[in-house]
Amino acid sequence: MAMTVRQRARVSRSVQYGLLALAVVLFILFADWASIGKAFFNWDSAVKQFPEIITLALKNTLIYTALSFVVGLSGGLLLALMKLSSVAVWRWIATLYIEFFRGVPALLVFIAFGFGIPTAFGVRFDIYVTVMLALGMVAAAYIAETLRAGLQAVPKGQLEAARSLGMPHWRAMVSIVIPQAFKIVLPPLTNEVILLTKDSSLVYLLGLAASQYELTKFGRDGITQPNAGLTPLVIAGACYLIITVPLGILARRFESRTAKTKG
Amino acid sequence: MAESTSSAAAKQIQAAGVSIKELRKSYGSNEVLKGIDLEVAPGEVVCLIGPSGSGKSTLLRCVNLLEQPNVGTIHVGGFESTDPDVDIDKMRRKVGMVFQQFNLFPHLSALQNCTIAQTKVLKRSQADAAEVARKNLARVGLDHLADRFPDQLSGGQQQRVAIARALSMDPELMLFDEPTSALDPETVGDVLAVMRNLAKEGMTMLVVTHEMGFAREVADRVVFMDGGVVVEEGAAEQVIGAPTQPRTQEFLRRVLDPTHIDIAE
Ligand SMILES: Nc1ncnc2c1ncn2[C@@H]1O[C@H](COP(=O)(O)OP(=O)(O)OP(=O)(O)O)[C@@H](O)[C@H]1O
Ligand SMILES: [Mg+2]
Repeated sequence: MAMTVRQRARVSRSVQYGLLALAVVLFILFADWASIGKAFFNWDSAVKQFPEIITLALKNTLIYTALSFVVGLSGGLLLALMKLSSVAVWRWIATLYIEFFRGVPALLVFIAFGFGIPTAFGVRFDIYVTVMLALGMVAAAYIAETLRAGLQAVPKGQLEAARSLGMPHWRAMVSIVIPQAFKIVLPPLTNEVILLTKDSSLVYLLGLAASQYELTKFGRDGITQPNAGLTPLVIAGACYLIITVPLGILARRFESRTAKTKG
Repeated sequence: MAESTSSAAAKQIQAAGVSIKELRKSYGSNEVLKGIDLEVAPGEVVCLIGPSGSGKSTLLRCVNLLEQPNVGTIHVGGFESTDPDVDIDKMRRKVGMVFQQFNLFPHLSALQNCTIAQTKVLKRSQADAAEVARKNLARVGLDHLADRFPDQLSGGQQQRVAIARALSMDPELMLFDEPTSALDPETVGDVLAVMRNLAKEGMTMLVVTHEMGFAREVADRVVFMDGGVVVEEGAAEQVIGAPTQPRTQEFLRRVLDPTHIDIAE
């Protein structure tokens, strides 16, 4: 018996849902819930995380992310403008910088800033400054490429119109081109913030005072307590999602908005 | 306030002429302008016509240095714009430019499009700039749409805002590069009407156009370009009505009767 295309699609979809439901049922029936609960979700241990995981760890994660985003954004804008400069030397420097910081693991940059530079130059940074620079400089490399694409996506006629009105190049960039570029790169920029939020976990390398703990360090500290299991890490993970999921939704909003204004 | 508006409106347009001598411009080995001489007297309206690729846009863009000429001199309103030491931004304030694609700033309202360069370049106060902008939006018949953004305006309205934007800098010369070529036919008339009024007010205008009716009616002089040289120039009636050069005749025959097919070719 021949089925129409639509009927066949419906059957295929039902089969896929069925298989999925079967897998879930089997997992629920045969999983060792006692052990799973003990490992990942221990109520007493979970309760012990509060309120510090919010008032301290989540707050610090947000601070580290925000600080490094400020550095990443301003550095990224500078690098993007250098990359589009008519002066070759600026382009080379920007390219070198971007290739370097995108090419090495952020972990190594953290180690360099946390231990290498203090030893080599005899300077000791405040922990917040260290994070801001290490994470910010890596972020700048990624953000630079995003912004460069955004700047190039602004039609050339915009700059020409602004220059024709007597605006100097920098003024035309500041008032006309850069605002439009930012609008274009809002979705990818939001994704950069998500990546930064997660990368702020690398701070754990630096040997923090308890008041400087962010989510990951706080969670790692939590699992060393007796009978805690991995619950503190599960809660820390949930806290990351509290930040990143809304950001993801925001990014998609921006995306559909720019798609709408284009069409 | 009403008084200052009317006195501003009554202010005579300061007209600047253009004098182009021996202008040459190449892109790589492709010479696009091959020695152009062109004069536009203060207050004069000159229409530039010619086939696609003849270098009309390039010539216009050389006048306000959006393109850098290779050889030759251009004088615009007391500036020698081809002088390497010229203050380009100062020169450009005297020269308004209107583009085929409007190039309105999409992140700014019609009013803001007209005020931004006033405040940032001429350092006018926000209030003064807004007053000038409204006056010029009224001049193009769009003061009631001052708060709309470009994507809320029709093509013809956008182009009129673009003209108001250029006028808000009190230019002494206006350059138009095919200002109606990207428009729906029914909005072309509004834009041409605005340009006609501007010409009546005594603005110096250099207009690249395919609108032969407009050129014939408004232009003091028509210049026909082909292959990077001026082939023929003279009074509109003469160049469009009774061209003497075969290339001009051929071009006009095609433009005025697009369905005409020359069997001999
Ligand atoms: N930026 C550029 N780089 C290289 N070649 C260019 C550039 N701009 C224009 N040209 C070339 O110069 C020639 C003249 O172009 P121009 O735009 O001045 O012609 P036009 O008379 O305005 O034509 P149209 O009526 O199609 O607008 C064309 O052959 C074009 O390919
Ligand atoms: Mg052109």
